[in-house]
Amino acid sequence: MKYTCKRILQLIPILFAITFLSFAMMRLAGSDVIEQKMQNTGQVVSEAQLNAAREELGLDKPMITQYFVWLKNLLHGDMGVSYVSGKNVFDTFIEKLPATILLTVSSILLTIVISIPLGIISAVYQNKIIDYIIRLLSFIGNSMPNFFVALVLMYFLGIQLKLFPIISRGISIESLAMPTLTLAIAMSAKYMRQIRATILDELDKDYIIGAKARGVRFSVTLFMSVLRACLVTIITLLALSIGSLLGGTAIIESIFMWDGVGKMAVDAINMRDYPIIQAYVMWMAIIYVMVNLITDLSYRLLDPRIRLGDKSL
Amino acid sequence: MKKFIAMMLAAVLTASVFVGCGSTKEESDSADNGKKTLVFGDTTFNAENEEGNVNPHEAYCGWATIRYGIGETLFKFDDNMELTPWLAESYENVDDLTWKIKLKDNIVFSNNKVCDANAVKDCLEDLIAVHERAAGDLAIDSITADGLELTIKTTEPKPTLINYLCDPYGCIVDVAAGVNDGMVVGTGPFVATELVTDDHLNLVKNENYWNGDVKLDEITVLTISDGDTLAMALQSGDIDAAYGMAYASYPLFENDDYTFTSTATSRAFFLQMNYNSPIISDAAVREAIAMGINKEGFVNTLLNGYGYVGEGAFPDTFSFGGQKVQAKSYDPEKAKQILEDAGWVDSDGDGIREKDGKKLSINWISYPSRQELPLLAESAQASLKELGIDVQLNITADHGTIVAEKDGWDVYASAFVTCGIGDPMYFFNTHALESSVKNRGGYYNADLEELAKEMNSTCDADERSDIAIKMQQEIVDDDAFIFCSFLKMSMISKSNVTGLKACPCDYYEFTADLDIN
Amino acid sequence: MMKNKKGIKLRLILFGLLALGMIIVAIFADKFCPFDPLQQDLNSAYLAPDGVHIMGTDAYGRDMFSRIIMGARISIISTLSLVAIISIVGTIIGLVCGYFGGKIDMLVMRISDMFLAFPGLVFAIAIAAIMGGGVANAVVALALISWPKYARIARSQTLAVKNSTYVTAAVVIGDSHIRIMKNHILPNIWGPILVTAVLDIGTMLMELAGLSFLGLGAQPPVAEWGSMMSTGRSMLQTCPWVVLSPGLAIFISVIIFNLFGDSIRDAFDPKLNN
Repeated sequence: MKYTCKRILQLIPILFAITFLSFAMMRLAGSDVIEQKMQNTGQVVSEAQLNAAREELGLDKPMITQYFVWLKNLLHGDMGVSYVSGKNVFDTFIEKLPATILLTVSSILLTIVISIPLGIISAVYQNKIIDYIIRLLSFIGNSMPNFFVALVLMYFLGIQLKLFPIISRGISIESLAMPTLTLAIAMSAKYMRQIRATILDELDKDYIIGAKARGVRFSVTLFMSVLRACLVTIITLLALSIGSLLGGTAIIESIFMWDGVGKMAVDAINMRDYPIIQAYVMWMAIIYVMVNLITDLSYRLLDPRIRLGDKSL
Repeated sequence: MKKFIAMMLAAVLTASVFVGCGSTKEESDSADNGKKTLVFGDTTFNAENEEGNVNPHEAYCGWATIRYGIGETLFKFDDNMELTPWLAESYENVDDLTWKIKLKDNIVFSNNKVCDANAVKDCLEDLIAVHERAAGDLAIDSITADGLELTIKTTEPKPTLINYLCDPYGCIVDVAAGVNDGMVVGTGPFVATELVTDDHLNLVKNENYWNGDVKLDEITVLTISDGDTLAMALQSGDIDAAYGMAYASYPLFENDDYTFTSTATSRAFFLQMNYNSPIISDAAVREAIAMGINKEGFVNTLLNGYGYVGEGAFPDTFSFGGQKVQAKSYDPEKAKQILEDAGWVDSDGDGIREKDGKKLSINWISYPSRQELPLLAESAQASLKELGIDVQLNITADHGTIVAEKDGWDVYASAFVTCGIGDPMYFFNTHALESSVKNRGGYYNADLEELAKEMNSTCDADERSDIAIKMQQEIVDDDAFIFCSFLKMSMISKSNVTGLKACPCDYYEFTADLDIN
Repeated sequence: MMKNKKGIKLRLILFGLLALGMIIVAIFADKFCPFDPLQQDLNSAYLAPDGVHIMGTDAYGRDMFSRIIMGARISIISTLSLVAIISIVGTIIGLVCGYFGGKIDMLVMRISDMFLAFPGLVFAIAIAAIMGGGVANAVVALALISWPKYARIARSQTLAVKNSTYVTAAVVIGDSHIRIMKNHILPNIWGPILVTAVLDIGTMLMELAGLSFLGLGAQPPVAEWGSMMSTGRSMLQTCPWVVLSPGLAIFISVIIFNLFGDSIRDAFDPKLNN
């Protein structure tokens, strides 16, 4: 409990840092917000009007003051409006977020489905043919950039076999399939490897050997203790891979036209729509930090060893 | 504890297996209850092209209004780019400044409101109040409405007023019904029901359509900004028809399963020179660029033959276009000589010429949303390098900001419909005169300005045509503009789609006849 | 695979040589190109692979094989410099922080926390978007987000050896801080850092290519594998060699560097050396 509080308190400076960096990045973009906005709406304005607009937005104040003003607006859900569509940035983001979450969650689930059985098989049949095949696949999956995988899948599953639609129209299981598969392939490759190592480690432990010696049925032992070790491994991996997963969705979403925040961000980059980029970076970072916190806490729940020895943390 | 974990694990596994299987045996959810639905993919319907919604009174959004059959204009262009009646029945040019337009008597908006002269008056008044380009083009002084008769007075003689009214911004919409999420109420065969910018637009049949029965029940227009995705989507059957297919994908559809509808348009891919740039203001450099671009190679190879090599500002479908203007032909050797004579020599042997210590390096600005432009840029970069001209490419959606400034760019390659309203002055008015909004490079030619004045006071079509040829020759001789090619506009549809026909002005796509079998 | 010491050594040499070979090709790319990778010839566009153009030609009639080789220079050299920058800078920062501790340590570690709070590629995308396209900018973007990892490893390793007798001895003799760090700490901590760095090459290569694929890295006509795939996408069906060749090039180089990384790790793993 004490640890949980401590972790949450630690979050505060990090959140400040994230928001400040996102804010500063926007300023570093080199363009004056007002000028940019005017240009994007195609208006012709005088210098006096520009100055008036700057004053109205408080842009003549020092940067740190501007930051707190911006932060205050942020807490009211006001992140400004998109230069391109003129719509509220926060609303746009919230509207597109579920699609990305769905894609992320489904690819994690698919990863688990693929990697646990294969990882177990690979470990149980260590150094047998099947183990080599699985390890080879894992190696290949690990060495292919996700956009290459996406194009190959698109070509074979979408065009040759016509199994899945090429572009997603709305959120449906069919259109979810290919982007999910693309993201899951790279992740499964990593997970399989780790799960295999964890299980081999676990099987080597004294208590397993002891259990075998006592005549406890192998499968029960394997199932109970090994799977728990797997779960801990997976949660650790999740925390590690969520970052690259969130970045990966940007590329994959825009290839498959999946209408989530990743595609939104890539489109915004092409259009230099800074408020959208800013919102994307900031919220992704916040989500990332939150997910890390949750995995960290659940990790401790699952593994009593860490709970006892956390004095150093 | 262990039990709990084991159960949780089992639950997660089961759930995910369920999800995994679900994805394979999912039945199609597009349950068609006897409705005829068409899905159309378009690469250009997006905010980047200033076409973020379907309100004709905003930027270039009128293109979507008219293309997707939501709105219609008073007159329209036929396949020879001649005016024919549409919402209006006839017009009469009473005197230099006065025009009388008679509307058809059976026109209703999709909300069943009658479209009479008053409604048109309200629409046009709103248009010129909010749309800068329209206000300048039309120069309307006053509009009076009387039943079905509309009288327009202009502030100056406008021989081409009726042509301008055919511009997509001239779509007649019910202003009283307002603009709802960027959607308007028009008179066309389809009604917009849902619009998400850069994503999709849903249309349904206009039950009250004045001009016959609409065959399709629903259309979805998908904005697919990526040409490759568009090709794959058409192949897989996700969409039924496509606009803006990548040239490299055309061979995939040249078979019986698909129908092409193509037409020559006046959408020109051309270069605009920046006279504010010291390098470009050197006539030899401009001439060398004009001679150093392999237009034939660009059209025949990179565009797979789907295009026409450009000479002047207009394609040969027009009486004042095509070969009537003589542009410089591709001649690298002569171009090298010209540069040499002008003092541009490669003294340090790096393959790039210099003069007075300055490298012959040009900034080429363009944008990616028209797929021809990056192809043109990259091929020109290589062929100009042969001449000893270094080309720095900057192909960005942000091109507007860059060319709005005086320096920082040398050559701007863009696409523009030069004769969208069937009137040659349109291009000169927008691009080439001292007062032109899009005269980004600060080009000025006194003879051209004179010819423009002459043109504005000439009404005879043949004479206008002659002046138009002279004007083109002026700008081509100055190498102020280099016209590389014209778009052969193609829409590709599955063979069961009928009634989709490309038109030279590139305005009209969806009509009541559009059908899918 | 072979887990004994001899096997590990063999693998290390084999994959090391392969990796070295790739680097040599990358450095002397212009010597290996049969054609000028930027030379266009519209008359020989879209040629399928044959005896002359072993990987075919692209839409502009450029020789794909030459472009792939030239692409190695950009992709591999920029990846290697990226990994070198982040591992060296990260190590120095971590070493200094671990050695001196105190306020500097606190401050630098909080800053690195800040960078670690951003999901990697997301942050890189944003940075690259702000700075505009270009390989150098993409390298900077990825470097900004990747150095903290090395700083943390170096710091924790430094903390571990800081209080060992030989360091204490050096302090007693009166060696300067820089000398102690250079002669006594660095030699004892570089192993894990090297392993991490080599294992990072494959990932970084893919991330750089990813940024280029999004149009945020190398700009056309520069021959870079990611941007070549991105511009060749439309030809996936009609001329697959234009897309598949750079894809395979990425794939093969990542595999080689990953195998090399694995064998270095095995060589350093004390468990296996017993």
